[in-house]
Amino acid sequence: MTIFGLTLAGLPAGAAAAIALVGAAALTGLYLLKLRRRRVVVPFAPLWAAALGETQSERLSRRLRRWLSLALQMLFGALVLLAAVDPRPAEADRAGRSVLILIDRSASMSATDEPGSRLGSARRVARGIVAGLGPADRAMVATFASGVAAETGFEADVRSLEGAIDEVTGTEEPADLPRALGFAAAALRGRPHPTLILVSDGAYGANARAQAPAQALSGVDVRFAPVGTRGDNVAIISFAARRDPADRGSVQASVVVQSFRDGPCEVALEIGTVADGGAQEGPGSEGAAAEIVVVERARLGLAPGERKTHVLHEVAAPGARLVARLVRASGGGGGGDDLAVDDRTYAVVPALPRRRVLRVGGGNLFLEGALLSLGGQVVVRRVSTAAAESTRARWPDYDAVIFDGVAPAPAPTAGRFLYFDPAGAGSPFPARGALRDPVVSDTQKLHPLVKHVALADLNVREAQRLTIEPGDTAVASSFGSPLIVARVRPGLRVAALAFDPRHSDLPMRTAFPLLLANAVEWLASAGVDTDAADVATGGVSLRTGRTFRVGDADIPVARVGFHRVATAGGAAGAPAAVVAANLSDPVESDTHPSAALTLAGRAWPRPPDAGPGGPRQDLWAVALIAAVALSLFEWWSYHRRWTV
Amino acid sequence: MGAGRFDERFLRKLEYLYVVSKKIFAGQNRAERRTRQVGSGIEFADHRDYVAGDDLRTIDWSVYGRMERLLVRLFEEDEDLSIYVLIDASASMALGAPSKLDLAMRAGAALAYVGLANLDRVAVYPIGEGLGEGLPPARGKGRILPLLSWMGGVEANGRTSLAKAAAAFVHRHRRRGIVIVISDFYDPAGYAEALDLLRYNRFEPTVIQVTGADDARPPLRGDVTIVDVETGDEREVTVSSAVLDAYARRHSALLRDLARFCRERSIPCFQTTSDVAFDDLVLRAFRGSGLLA
Repeated sequence: MTIFGLTLAGLPAGAAAAIALVGAAALTGLYLLKLRRRRVVVPFAPLWAAALGETQSERLSRRLRRWLSLALQMLFGALVLLAAVDPRPAEADRAGRSVLILIDRSASMSATDEPGSRLGSARRVARGIVAGLGPADRAMVATFASGVAAETGFEADVRSLEGAIDEVTGTEEPADLPRALGFAAAALRGRPHPTLILVSDGAYGANARAQAPAQALSGVDVRFAPVGTRGDNVAIISFAARRDPADRGSVQASVVVQSFRDGPCEVALEIGTVADGGAQEGPGSEGAAAEIVVVERARLGLAPGERKTHVLHEVAAPGARLVARLVRASGGGGGGDDLAVDDRTYAVVPALPRRRVLRVGGGNLFLEGALLSLGGQVVVRRVSTAAAESTRARWPDYDAVIFDGVAPAPAPTAGRFLYFDPAGAGSPFPARGALRDPVVSDTQKLHPLVKHVALADLNVREAQRLTIEPGDTAVASSFGSPLIVARVRPGLRVAALAFDPRHSDLPMRTAFPLLLANAVEWLASAGVDTDAADVATGGVSLRTGRTFRVGDADIPVARVGFHRVATAGGAAGAPAAVVAANLSDPVESDTHPSAALTLAGRAWPRPPDAGPGGPRQDLWAVALIAAVALSLFEWWSYHRRWTV
Repeated sequence: MGAGRFDERFLRKLEYLYVVSKKIFAGQNRAERRTRQVGSGIEFADHRDYVAGDDLRTIDWSVYGRMERLLVRLFEEDEDLSIYVLIDASASMALGAPSKLDLAMRAGAALAYVGLANLDRVAVYPIGEGLGEGLPPARGKGRILPLLSWMGGVEANGRTSLAKAAAAFVHRHRRRGIVIVISDFYDPAGYAEALDLLRYNRFEPTVIQVTGADDARPPLRGDVTIVDVETGDEREVTVSSAVLDAYARRHSALLRDLARFCRERSIPCFQTTSDVAFDDLVLRAFRGSGLLA
């Protein structure tokens, strides 16, 4: 409803009219109502008559002043009512926009190339957008990093919007631009004059730009408000630790450093171990709860955009926590390192799981020696051939059961087994003859059983011709005759050597304990998710902004640092795994800001300084102030007897 | 109220006033007051035209020689002074804090006392819408207590009509003397007729106007209904500063006009408010105009 070019955004017109009529009638009634006057006895009334006669000319003015008082009260009521109906210029009301202010609070927004960081600059920009809203605009504040959060609804309350902006804090997560734009499209769907203003540094990769939901934003007025001035950053984009495959007791660490600066620079890289400081994990605990013991220092010279990898060998004992940090980048291109969150990365040396191995067979010093060489990785129990059958019920309890020269019948259909020279009715691979002086002609080098194992010149005196079934893998063979076979069935893993190692020079080679370790690990990993196993051992480096599933649990990772993972409902005192989380996002670490944004071929212009319809005109506030001023004037005039 | 009007302290002050009056009027013989009564005295009083039948011995031949006009000499006659005290006891005299009637009664009692102590003939009458029943003329200090007793019981009520009261007074009393009128002079018909009537009947009026302390500018504000204490007339008034100023001007004019009227006619006039001590008023009267001289 439009009245004199104004729309009423507050009290409905009908209600306002009713209130006005009732109020006017009540006020008039009160004024017309004769009040009981105080009776005063005077000695000589004719004097009063004479005095009033002198002011006879004032009687009319006194009556007029009474009506003036009534008029002032009516005007006061009208002003209050006007404030209540909240009039707004109709033209501006029709042009009212639905503005979604989307603020990027990903890790790159904590860069310090702007006063107080880019996020501080973004908050200032957002406040400026709110201040420029038109009188009929409705705005919503939302933030995003890897997830999206709506900080307010669509509202016109400037103070509420500014309060929400002031409370926006940064994250250590990478930005998920497609997800954020998808949220924006959904939020603006169906709203009048939808407008999206993205406040960001524009540090998005090509994939993110390509995946932007352009179609969903087709009817939306999209704007881009850039922040950020430069891209001086050197980052550790990867830091991982692993067990040396050749020596499971040894650990290697790899650090990848990349410069995103425009000029060459030199950085000092420190790698250290952190002792267990207790319950507190993450970057905040390092200085306070635990001391970093530097185990390696390196100086790296980086050209603009160059990426370097630094590898450490035998860095630490299994289970240790490692920290890699950049110290004081220097060089051309300006201030240094604007982003601190990627200057420090974390890794946990995976602990070695202890495998339970059951060896069934007679004495075999070679085999026993090889098992001993695995050290604490295995716990071996030896059972004689005669007692093999008595242990059948417990075979599934072991990570690996080694049948050395024996094949109990019937062959097991579930479990994890390693056969050396199986024979007889219990052999899972029936023999169809013998093979003399076989030569290893083919090897499946990528198979885990033979990883890092060289068998090319293996000397074997005699082997069996094993029969394999479809689905079995001849890991190593001699001109079609499998020498090492592997079988994987649901619930069953079997590896077999077609020969007795003692009838070869295999025990004399380093390949033997390696082959044995590979076999135990391959058998032990059957039916277990590798990632889960690694998480359990603490060997996973997670990326912030993602959710990882461990068992039945989804683990969100929001901050860099060490995270302790414990299974809910686990046994009391059960140790929790420690995993490391890092930003590890070269796109996010590349803090070069974008002055402009183009998505799906559509350019996003800068937002205007003010909304249509001119600056906000809170007529209701003007009316309220006028009512208060009028009330004060009426009070003052009453005491001056101007309206009495 | 009447019993407390003349207490021990009041009586002591009466004695004091009597002593003061003696000092002021020292040398005067008792009961020797001159009046304007023309009689057979030896002191020349006045001339008048000769009419047939006048004693030829009274013709002033020196005047005839100068003016060739026959005039007879008149002589004063010594006589006792009569003092009449007329006290306004209308309803308006009950207002004021203290009430005007209290001051009027006390001042009237004091004047009567001095007169009685000086062996003058004193009469006291209340006036309102006419002349009330008071104490007829009497002489001697022995009349003091009855006088005070009677004056202590007088209550204020009724309307004011000074003219009617004066007419009734002059009709009742032939003996000339001093008439002391103690009133607030709030008479709708005015005071001129009454005072002129007294003068025309050869009385010597003296005016003592007593008004209330708040009568000049009442402490009123806002919307009020004023009620005349004597007539009961009501009037709705919105009392503002302008109205109060106008009223004050009117009241001041009333007092001023009375003073001017008395001055023009050589009538002693004393104006006071009810919050003044009665002895101060009486002394002022003694010293101011030769009252009772």
